[in-house]
Amino acid sequence: MNTPFETPQLPHPRQHLTSPVTRGALRLQGGLLTAARQFLRDNGFTELLPPIIGPVTDPGNRGAKQVDIDYYGHRYKLMTSAILYKQASLLAFDKIFYVAPNVRLEPVETAGTGRHLTEFHQLDVEVAGATREDILQLIEDLVRHMARHVVTEHAEDLEQLGRDPGAFTDLINTAFDRISHATAVERLHELGHGQSPDAELDWPGEALLSGKASRPFFVTDYPKGSRGFYDRESLEHPGVLRNFDLIAPEGYGELCSGSERESDYARIVARIRETGENPAKYAWYLETAREGIPASSGFGIGLQRLTRYIAGLDAVWQASAFPKLVGTVSP
Amino acid sequence: MSALHAVGLPEAEIRTRARTGTAAAFPAADDYGHTLYGDEGRPAADPLDRARLVPPVFVPQRLEKLIDLGREPLFSDVELATTVGGFASALPLYVSAFGSTQVASRDLGVAAARQAGRLGLPMVIGENIVPVQGYGRAETDEQRALLRRIEAYAGELPDGLGGLVVQQSTEDADAEVWNLVYSDPGTRGLLESGRLGFELKVGQGAKPGLGGMTVLPRAEAARLADRFQLQEVFGPDDPRVLRSGSPGTFTDEILRQQIRLMRNNFPHARVWVKLPPARDVAAAAAVAWAAGADAVTVDGAEGGSGWAPSAFPAQVGLPLHECLRRVSPTGCLLAAGRIWEGARAAKALALGATAVGLGRAALLAVDEDPQDGLARLVECLALELRLITSALGVYSTGALTPEDVWFGAGPETAGAAYRQMEGHLRG
Repeated sequence: MNTPFETPQLPHPRQHLTSPVTRGALRLQGGLLTAARQFLRDNGFTELLPPIIGPVTDPGNRGAKQVDIDYYGHRYKLMTSAILYKQASLLAFDKIFYVAPNVRLEPVETAGTGRHLTEFHQLDVEVAGATREDILQLIEDLVRHMARHVVTEHAEDLEQLGRDPGAFTDLINTAFDRISHATAVERLHELGHGQSPDAELDWPGEALLSGKASRPFFVTDYPKGSRGFYDRESLEHPGVLRNFDLIAPEGYGELCSGSERESDYARIVARIRETGENPAKYAWYLETAREGIPASSGFGIGLQRLTRYIAGLDAVWQASAFPKLVGTVSP
Repeated sequence: MSALHAVGLPEAEIRTRARTGTAAAFPAADDYGHTLYGDEGRPAADPLDRARLVPPVFVPQRLEKLIDLGREPLFSDVELATTVGGFASALPLYVSAFGSTQVASRDLGVAAARQAGRLGLPMVIGENIVPVQGYGRAETDEQRALLRRIEAYAGELPDGLGGLVVQQSTEDADAEVWNLVYSDPGTRGLLESGRLGFELKVGQGAKPGLGGMTVLPRAEAARLADRFQLQEVFGPDDPRVLRSGSPGTFTDEILRQQIRLMRNNFPHARVWVKLPPARDVAAAAAVAWAAGADAVTVDGAEGGSGWAPSAFPAQVGLPLHECLRRVSPTGCLLAAGRIWEGARAAKALALGATAVGLGRAALLAVDEDPQDGLARLVECLALELRLITSALGVYSTGALTPEDVWFGAGPETAGAAYRQMEGHLRG
């Protein structure tokens, strides 16, 4: 508690855009996207263009404020994530993905984490009928493919950024570990970190675990009350969600969140109430769910975060051409 | 002073305290020496008022204090500083939310925040900051009013004391009041010093089981028709309509998860839960503490500045003393409901509360003197608390016990009324 929540000073846009570090990072980002699209298309996915605004958006974001806009006299939201639309999109195709922009007015306590932007992009994937096991394997294969592509096609950029391609040997060759949230909490307690068992891993705790890893790993089974209503609650273990995070090694922290989804109308309504909201605002989504949406699993990979990790950057803002940070006015 | 009035409170006495401070704790000094005094026979408003505080002859804790001090202790030796819902407070007091009524808004609210801040008292802000309009961040008058009150409070707060608690109900959730405050750079100082909290409003004293109600001009109401129920209770030709919010649906699991989500989403904020004077108040409080709430506030049916159907304040909900009797605190319990002077406060503390909330009394005091009214009211109450606590043979309010309070025994007493009421409730 009581850490200084200082926002870093951003360079002038001209200085930032002409910096070799920015250019290298953005070229890597382009390479990651190319690889992801190729991989997903080869695996039968349809890319859809994501919505930017809607009457509701993802409420499941730690402490962040949504941006309201006046839409012909109605309150609309900029997407904090397109999760609700991803589920609905499965009515059109069984396997979909977006490269989706998200805006979240993050709390000041995230200013110094080095891994929060208020505007960022996610590679958003959703698969009808998939279990968590299916989707974890998909992520592992996808991330491995993206890393391999960068190592082979962007060797020069990595070298210019001072990033040793050997950092990805483990990622490319070894299966990702999976630990439950409860185990992560135990490990943190052993390390002397006071992590709450009922909450998401806090930033310092996550950094501790991340710092001890040599390749990305999954944390599964987060407790209910730590995530959005759309993450499915285990029927066998009430209070435990069928969800996960992918954590990067070397202290880079969370790259991706995902879950099996709630698709049953009554369960969705009860879960919305548990987040304190009046379900009425989710009218379109609930009507769709009442008529039936496919059971699914999916995830969103933070593209700037992944770029930061692959490029070995100090902070995530370096992986954005026009970075926006908490409380800072910038282009 | 404005045209502000409070039903069910001794308004003249509160205003006198706001003007004269500690002097109002005693009969007029000018009468000293030539008046015979006794109980003035002021009618008691409820069983808690009727109950008497009863000091003992044998006072082992006074002996401990005597040994500690090396002299006979006095009332001035009573320590009132305590922790209120995770915040250090100079007194076992906090300023509770004033509700959505127009009287609480704007200048009075800012003046109250300024004085509460100066006193280092925790304060709850919660006037459906709302939802009634609002596109964009802090663009509406309501949102600006909220942020202005936060600034007024934080600007006066001494180091290491107090804390600001922002309330949100089910209907406010739509406006993301907590997210707005938590992500606002203006609250950084409070957050960094651990002095920001959020209060989940499960219900309120004045109308348990109902949601927020506001009387609105017909023209403004039309704009809200898609979000709130509007009723023409005042007649089809009246220029005003009634706006009703939902009380929100709670089960033990819903309450537990809402609290956990608050702790998860706002890890640097304290979590308070405000309960209505409901028959299962004890069970709800137990769930809240177990889920990690830093404080549970119980609002007696006497409490609340909000506008409510007349049947409710008169006949719906448990009175404060009964709420306190039912709850077994395993965490910080806060009590509100017609608190304005030291004896009622002491009774609530003796019955298990860690601190008591000043609601309407604080508003009246600020209305009487926007500069120092609340400070004087609080000084007077603090003096009375010291006098009473020391009379009961202890030197901190945490050492008061239910044994200190006597509800009476005979048919004419409060105790009978209390039992009668219990009979009604169980019948």
